[in-house]
Amino acid sequence: MKKGVSIILLLILLWGVVAALSEMPFGKAKLEVAGHYTDYGKEDTGAANIVTSVVLGYRGFDTLGEVTVLFLACIGLAVVLSTLKKQGCGARQTPSLILNTGFRFLFPLILLFGTYVFMHGHLSPGGGFQGGAVIASGFVLMYLSVPKIKRLNHFVSTLFESVGGLIFLVIGLIGLKLGSQYFLNNFLPNGEFNTLLSAGIIPVIYIAIGFKVGSELSKIIDVLLEESE
Amino acid sequence: MNAKDVPHQGSFRSSLYLFIILMIIWLVLTNSLKTEELLSGLIISLLLTHFLSANYRELGLPRLRLKRAANFIAYVFVLLSEIIKANFDVAYRVLHPKMPIRPGIIIIKTSLKQDIAKVILANSITLTPGTFTLDIKDDALLIHWINVKSEEEGEAAKRISERFEKYLKVVFE
Repeated sequence: MKKGVSIILLLILLWGVVAALSEMPFGKAKLEVAGHYTDYGKEDTGAANIVTSVVLGYRGFDTLGEVTVLFLACIGLAVVLSTLKKQGCGARQTPSLILNTGFRFLFPLILLFGTYVFMHGHLSPGGGFQGGAVIASGFVLMYLSVPKIKRLNHFVSTLFESVGGLIFLVIGLIGLKLGSQYFLNNFLPNGEFNTLLSAGIIPVIYIAIGFKVGSELSKIIDVLLEESE
Repeated sequence: MNAKDVPHQGSFRSSLYLFIILMIIWLVLTNSLKTEELLSGLIISLLLTHFLSANYRELGLPRLRLKRAANFIAYVFVLLSEIIKANFDVAYRVLHPKMPIRPGIIIIKTSLKQDIAKVILANSITLTPGTFTLDIKDDALLIHWINVKSEEEGEAAKRISERFEKYLKVVFE
């Protein structure tokens, strides 16, 4: 009896799944917007990386929102942690020679890689957010391996953060003024496809985002570490 | 000579090393020789070298000599062959029904002086399966060994570190 019921239930479930799937056209674009992105992304934005052409070309306004969210998270964390009472967490172990020397050797190379990632966001996988995260990981390594912690220079990190955000906004507003009356309009020439100086405003914005995200994430780590001391 | 004793000697050399390493990595990443790529790589490498060359000054990188470069390339091949050999050895120990392992932690001494040389040695030992460097204290390396063949210091060093150390000594001394 139990078995029979469960088999019937299973069949009903199977029928539901099959009925739902058979309605969907197989191998065809399900959304017209996605089809437009893949067909015209190259001509519209000049970016070789379709994901970037969507993130910064078609949906640049969305990305501005995301950058703002990160900015607010950073501020919020600093505000919340500054209200807590500081308490010591015991002695810090001195980092081993392997970690310390590895940091010395790798730190410039990590920064170079992060810079590469955010400069080539319109050509290869990656972009401002990813490049910024790579740069922040370099700073985590620094905090772990330098015995006497060199505090992040708050003035410099705030400067990078603010200037990065401002560049994004100003470029968007220039586009609004110059072109066909919409925010983040691509007013720079698209250039030769698949080269560093192509895709108009996209690399400029991604470099700004790279600096902004890199300094913001490093600052978050800095604030958390300050709290644990 | 230890680089820490002479902080200002070789600062140009370490900057040059850093710049060349950064440029090579940039060329490998971008995989192009276009003017704008080269120019941006040049600017970024120069900036990073300007701000971070102090990091490289304390590493104790030696002067470039043909003998050192040749030995370093030889060392890379030795490392690769040792990694392959050690892989087979560990696979044998894992697959053997009796699992002939004798794990333990030993200390071996190294005669290498420079920090970077010690770290390369430690990482080589870690990269070969079966041995793992836990820490370095002055000239002693703390190593976890999957099959301790000898507790004696000299004998263990002969089996684990000597094959790398003889090349690294020529490279860094």
